[in-house]
Amino acid sequence: MSKLDGFHEKDFLEQVTILNEISGSRDSAYLPGLLSLFEKPTGDTGVDYMVVNALNAVLGASEDAVIQGLNSQNPAFRTLCIRAAGEYAFPDAAEPLSEMTETETDLDRLAEILAALAKIHPADGARVFRAFLGHDDPMLAALAMEMAGAYADPQAVIFLKAAVEATDADRSYDQCDITTWKAIDAMAAMATPESIAFLAANVHHKNPTARRIITDALVRLGEPAIQHLEPLYGLGDVDQRILACNIVGFIGSRKGADGLVQAFDKGFFTEANVRYAAFEALGRIGTLKGLVCLVDGLMETDELILMAVVTGLERHAAPGILKTISERIAAGDERSSRIAHAVIASRALRLFQELYKDEAVGAALMMELQKSKDSEILADFAARLDQIGTDRSRADILTLPKPKSATRKALAADDSKSMLALYRSILTDLGFEPLMAANGQEAYAFVEAGEFADVVITDMNMPVMDGMELVGKLRASLGYEDVPILMVTTESESTQRDMATKTGVTSFLTKPFKPEDLKAKLLEMLGG
Amino acid sequence: MDVELAKPFIKAAMDVIGTMAFITPRPGRPFVKKNSIATGDVTGLVGLTGDGKRGSVSISFSKACAVAMVKNMLGDDIQDILSDVKDAVGEITNMVSGQARAGLSEKGLVFQGSTPTVIMGDNHSISHMSKSPIMAIPFETDAGNFTIEFCFE
Repeated sequence: MSKLDGFHEKDFLEQVTILNEISGSRDSAYLPGLLSLFEKPTGDTGVDYMVVNALNAVLGASEDAVIQGLNSQNPAFRTLCIRAAGEYAFPDAAEPLSEMTETETDLDRLAEILAALAKIHPADGARVFRAFLGHDDPMLAALAMEMAGAYADPQAVIFLKAAVEATDADRSYDQCDITTWKAIDAMAAMATPESIAFLAANVHHKNPTARRIITDALVRLGEPAIQHLEPLYGLGDVDQRILACNIVGFIGSRKGADGLVQAFDKGFFTEANVRYAAFEALGRIGTLKGLVCLVDGLMETDELILMAVVTGLERHAAPGILKTISERIAAGDERSSRIAHAVIASRALRLFQELYKDEAVGAALMMELQKSKDSEILADFAARLDQIGTDRSRADILTLPKPKSATRKALAADDSKSMLALYRSILTDLGFEPLMAANGQEAYAFVEAGEFADVVITDMNMPVMDGMELVGKLRASLGYEDVPILMVTTESESTQRDMATKTGVTSFLTKPFKPEDLKAKLLEMLGG
Repeated sequence: MDVELAKPFIKAAMDVIGTMAFITPRPGRPFVKKNSIATGDVTGLVGLTGDGKRGSVSISFSKACAVAMVKNMLGDDIQDILSDVKDAVGEITNMVSGQARAGLSEKGLVFQGSTPTVIMGDNHSISHMSKSPIMAIPFETDAGNFTIEFCFE
């Protein structure tokens, strides 16, 4: 006599106990009894749910029963068997499941079958998934792409490439098809020279979300991606070269630094904004060759590039390098004061502390520091001078100007540390109290905290929340409907600018720029 | 396998909103966004943990859609529209989360769901707890739109 005889007549506690025992035993002898309970439910949701669980447990111990169940006339039981086949990864279920994909018309069940096959991962499965790469249902197509990546299916590459390149111009800037996303991830999962080269060639994808996903994928791929990004230094357009430098910097491998230095030597980095990105990347990586190149960067005249150079050197200050910087500042020419200014404006406190040891250099740095109107910079350096603790440094603290309190505020968002430092210095010069944020979300947090800014400066491409989204959100926020918003970007493409204008950007400035350009732009936007 | 995880939630949302609120949602083209912010007028949010993953699922309704659901669910018995909307969205999110998790557990993917949080406010924004891209599925109904968003890491 089976435990399940007269089940309907038993009370709840008995029913639950029996089902628990069966789940534990996983004895296939209970299968017919459970099946009839599954077909004629008790009506008690809790018990019926346990019947399904017990059935699943028993099926898990019997591959044959599952394979048989795939042909069941009862669609609910068929689905249960499809799920069990996947959950327990029964290898012999792969063939009937593959056949089912050819005839099944119900999209939900098709998704179940493909998901089960994905878990079984049969050796010849690539063919089955390939058939769904171009499916009308985006979820099924996305699943097929995911698996094309898992199988590294060479025959799927042509589809994947098409899916990455397919962009819908009418879509909003922050949206990207899931098939494009999955195709990018699949190409990255394959990690073949062809697939990586393809991703590298698409670094400046038209859709900003897809671009971000490609960037993330290449950074994740790490060193193998570098050799495919390097050709862009010489052959890519300005946007591609900047993005290639950024990604190589984020990968942070020594190999990447060599390539950047070579590109400098070959004279590929002629544009100021590309040089800025390249110096920033070198600063992130910090190899000896890279540092030598950064020291050469001290010859740059552009204030922004110089700040990227100094920020990079601040991270890796080595004695030999300190000596060179010290000599450059001590030379007392026009270049010396530019370098001293960059050290102060980028808040290179470590460099400052080392350089200050030389009296003449210390005096040159103090001269720049005394010009600053930025209360935070003044406070930071005053604290550092106090820490140095010599008679000279204590005397120097007294020469620092008292910061005036600002009446107007300005909000600036940029993921580059040196850009933020530059904004800070310019904004305080203009008498603003600066609110600094490393991305759109941080910037919006100021707004949510009730801060009001008279002007907003934002980058376009930033992690977490990009400039475009920030602008959209600001325009929908009380008090920010008409605030002037300046977008500072390396983007040279007009379609990107059109999108930004539609979102509510007041004006644009291309990176890099001279501080005077930014000042003029801000004054113009604020009406003189 | 984000797609496999997402499917049951879409199906559950359509079932629950169809049965409880008598509104037939029509799914639109799913998309991904890189930012982690959902916007809407009323949002139900649940956190999920299990199977070595954690993530969150949100359903953001437009005001019109949320109000229409409440009217369909409560008939003329609306006491206080604000608290009724809040209750209804919380309840619906809870049911969607429960039904979808039941479906997932049949595949051996066992998730614990948190109690739903409901956020109200015109065009508010909420953050998902994830660094990976967010998948969003927009739905249209005769009463207004809503969007389901997922992220798992």
